[in-house]
Amino acid sequence: MTQNLLDKARTVVETALKRDAQAAQATVRRAHRGESAWRDGKLDRLRESTEVGLSITLYVDGRYSLNSTSDLRPEALGPFLDETIAATRALALDPHRKLPDPKRYAGRFTGDLKLYDELGVAAVNAEVRQRVARELEQALRAAPGATELISATTGAGNVVEENTMVCSNGMEASTRGTYFWIYADASVRDQGDRKPIGSWSAVVRKKAKLPSVESIAQEALRRALVARRSKSEKSDKYPCVVEAAVTPRLLGDLLGPLGGQAIQQKRSFLADKLGKKVGSDLLTITDDPLLPEGLSSTTFDGDGMSTMRRPIVERGVLKTFLLDNYYASKLGTEPTTGGASNLVLPKGKRDLAGLCAAMGKGILVTGFLGGNLNWATGTFSLGIRGQWVEGGKPVHAVSEMNLSGNAIELWSRLLELGNDPYLYSSCRCPSLRFDRLQFSGT
Amino acid sequence: MSKSIRRRDFLQSAGIAVVSLPGWAAGCALRSQLIAPHQAPRPQALLSPTVTPVAAPSIYFERFGVDQGLIKRTIDRGLGRGGDFCEVFVQHKVSHWVGLEDGEVNRAYTTIALGAGVRVLKGDATGYAYTEDLSETALGVAAATAAAVADGLALSRCGSLKAVAVPNAYPVAMPWSAVGIDQKLPILLQLEKLARARDSRVIKTSIFLGDDTSRILVTNSEGLLVEDDQPMAELFVGCVAEHKGKTETSGQSAASRDGITFFTPERVQNVAQEAVDFTTMLFDAGAPPVGELPVVLAAGTTGLLLHEAIGHGMEADFNRKGISIYANRIGQRIAREQVTIVDDGTNPRMRGSINIDDEGTPAQRTVLVENGILRSYLHDRVSAQHYKLSSTGSGRRESYKFPVLPRMRNTYMLNGPCKPGEIIASVKKGLYAELFWNGEVNIGAGDFTFYLKHGRLIEDGKLSAVVKDANLIGSGPKVLERIDMVADDLGFFSGTGYCGKDWQRVPVGFGLPTVRAGGISIGGRKT
Repeated sequence: MTQNLLDKARTVVETALKRDAQAAQATVRRAHRGESAWRDGKLDRLRESTEVGLSITLYVDGRYSLNSTSDLRPEALGPFLDETIAATRALALDPHRKLPDPKRYAGRFTGDLKLYDELGVAAVNAEVRQRVARELEQALRAAPGATELISATTGAGNVVEENTMVCSNGMEASTRGTYFWIYADASVRDQGDRKPIGSWSAVVRKKAKLPSVESIAQEALRRALVARRSKSEKSDKYPCVVEAAVTPRLLGDLLGPLGGQAIQQKRSFLADKLGKKVGSDLLTITDDPLLPEGLSSTTFDGDGMSTMRRPIVERGVLKTFLLDNYYASKLGTEPTTGGASNLVLPKGKRDLAGLCAAMGKGILVTGFLGGNLNWATGTFSLGIRGQWVEGGKPVHAVSEMNLSGNAIELWSRLLELGNDPYLYSSCRCPSLRFDRLQFSGT
Repeated sequence: MSKSIRRRDFLQSAGIAVVSLPGWAAGCALRSQLIAPHQAPRPQALLSPTVTPVAAPSIYFERFGVDQGLIKRTIDRGLGRGGDFCEVFVQHKVSHWVGLEDGEVNRAYTTIALGAGVRVLKGDATGYAYTEDLSETALGVAAATAAAVADGLALSRCGSLKAVAVPNAYPVAMPWSAVGIDQKLPILLQLEKLARARDSRVIKTSIFLGDDTSRILVTNSEGLLVEDDQPMAELFVGCVAEHKGKTETSGQSAASRDGITFFTPERVQNVAQEAVDFTTMLFDAGAPPVGELPVVLAAGTTGLLLHEAIGHGMEADFNRKGISIYANRIGQRIAREQVTIVDDGTNPRMRGSINIDDEGTPAQRTVLVENGILRSYLHDRVSAQHYKLSSTGSGRRESYKFPVLPRMRNTYMLNGPCKPGEIIASVKKGLYAELFWNGEVNIGAGDFTFYLKHGRLIEDGKLSAVVKDANLIGSGPKVLERIDMVADDLGFFSGTGYCGKDWQRVPVGFGLPTVRAGGISIGGRKT
């Protein structure tokens, strides 16, 4: 199958070159996706589809365009390329648009990243997904506190995908991968009309690594139950712990300002921080595209360049930007990678309860809601939900509060990492304990 | 992009809905940013649409081999296991995007999406499959997949298809397919020139002009056959300015279901100037206060409040499941007498307008709250059937890859009796919120947020210092209950806004007159 995609990508590149593009890069992706959802005792939704998409980057007389289509009829390809090549010619010259130097294709990792689960694929079909979704709901109904349930939705799904890339200056690559996931959403009664929802899910590359349906169902219900009777605390600076599963929001906010476009377009508060402290000594973030079974693992990036492990922040010092081929050229420097893959942080010694015990009194953040980070200044303001903690133990739920400050100040106040990295995200970050941060409430 | 979207898929949490606008921050891994509105159509937008029927249905897709015979055979396969209803949705969408950076129009993007989705309903349950191969075989496989939502023998077959023509709220004299890139380039260059001329502190601009033409065909086992041709014109100007060692960024956008004539010289000038002004004004802006303060919402973009605070809670799928904070409250008072809120698909050329929804139901104006009383939810076919009501024409989907859900279109509050000045003067100490960038809501718990890009403090009833960058968070129902003054200056949002729900993005509009809300918690930095 993958060979067919590779042939398709080669054909598209050859056709573009014949039509006067000087260089081209094509990617062809095919994905088969199936999912089932179960709600309140019956089947709610089933979905299954195969999609195929083609993207082609064209370099025509020193000009650039990126084009994609799902119309793969052979008779449609010629006109598609003719039109897009003609449009490309109308643009301004851009000397920085070029395929990567072929030396960037060298050294591509050839080992097994364990991204494809043949046995898992063979073991799953629509009936199995439906059965798992039903079992999840049954587990929810059997979980402690289930009498408070108003509605439960559960589901299971999986994706099988193949990706190929061909660059006209001598790069070809194919990958395939699988994802399997299960989730549960529990809606429970609360005071007045409030009906907090608890959600919990897991996504993995290998089916056997999925946790039990009971663990997912119980955690979803537990999260809904502890969110009841929430209130807002007084605005003040409080110590806080951020639960592992929601840390991707905080770390993800750094990726935009680390990118080549933000740096070159002077829209990044990190632009002058290379080699400087951007966080406490405890902050070490590694971009690891070669993480076995990693959700964003890949041996080549969006430009086709071979990937490698790379420290982004080491003991609080910013080590690299995420520079793709184009913006690196504009900045007059060497590219690193077009985007982060898996972000990995080191583990600490204590679990979430241990971090809360160390904090004593403060806020445990278990969810973010809305908000934003100003890329240029690093100031941020985010809605939060969580628990008010006293004596190291959760006392009551909090909601309608914001966490705000500056990203560098936030990461400088990092006091401790937990031993509980969240495994179901490409951001493998444990729970984090911070010194006092600004919260707004009543 | 596909990677980050997939990741979000997995981490989905039900009952969370987000509005955001993708501007320059589209590279952000976890979400995109919203850029503000063009203060667009004034009350004339409320007039009824021009009646210009869209071209005769079913001809368009014959070029792709999809004729009525094939559609009927596909629907029959979809009904083959006893489903109650089968729908075939075919879409051909061509999108262009041309961008300027560092003074040159040096990038162009074209996307073509062609495919068909087959949906089969059995009671409340949905079976869905799609294909990008429009051959009889591939459509048959999709139909058979969706059919599996039922588990019996065929109960019915597709009736004869009857083509329906609908009024067109967004006729376009020259379709985007006839507009060459050479006609777009001068607009981008002019925007850059105007932005640079406006203020010498502007050091970078990123500008794009986008257009979509989405042709949709909706047919179903009840014999419906209807098409719509949905154009979209989009413009965005992002600015970076430097002053005394400080850097600020902001921007402005404009969008409309329209052709290239949308980009009039006046509109181009307004967007460029506002993009610059919204950026440079931030040099004088301070950190907003921390904690709860009375908030006055300026007319226009702040309609985001309605979208988050109440709009999502009105979507009937959340109510059907009993999980919305507004479940079972129809007919009850949820706001003061002055408050009337509508969700409207009929405003001529407005971003969230649709001639038909993605189930083929004609556009409607739905009154959600009338003089403070909750009147209606937003229904698609499934929820309407559940409540034994008619659909409100709110069944929308991002593309053929998705089944429909009840969604908002253009959501706004009607004018009230007050004057904007009188509302500001009534507040001793508070926040005047002018520009929102994004928002999010927890449907069940009702807490919602909106991110303030800039606003002003109110001191002793007068507007004072500019403040920037704060998240506001509150309880939707509480905030709505406490709106006690509504002005007569309804302004509409018509920028490049999207609403995200269940991992589907659809274009939306909103509007608000100046209103006084109660205390809302402000995530500032100044204590």
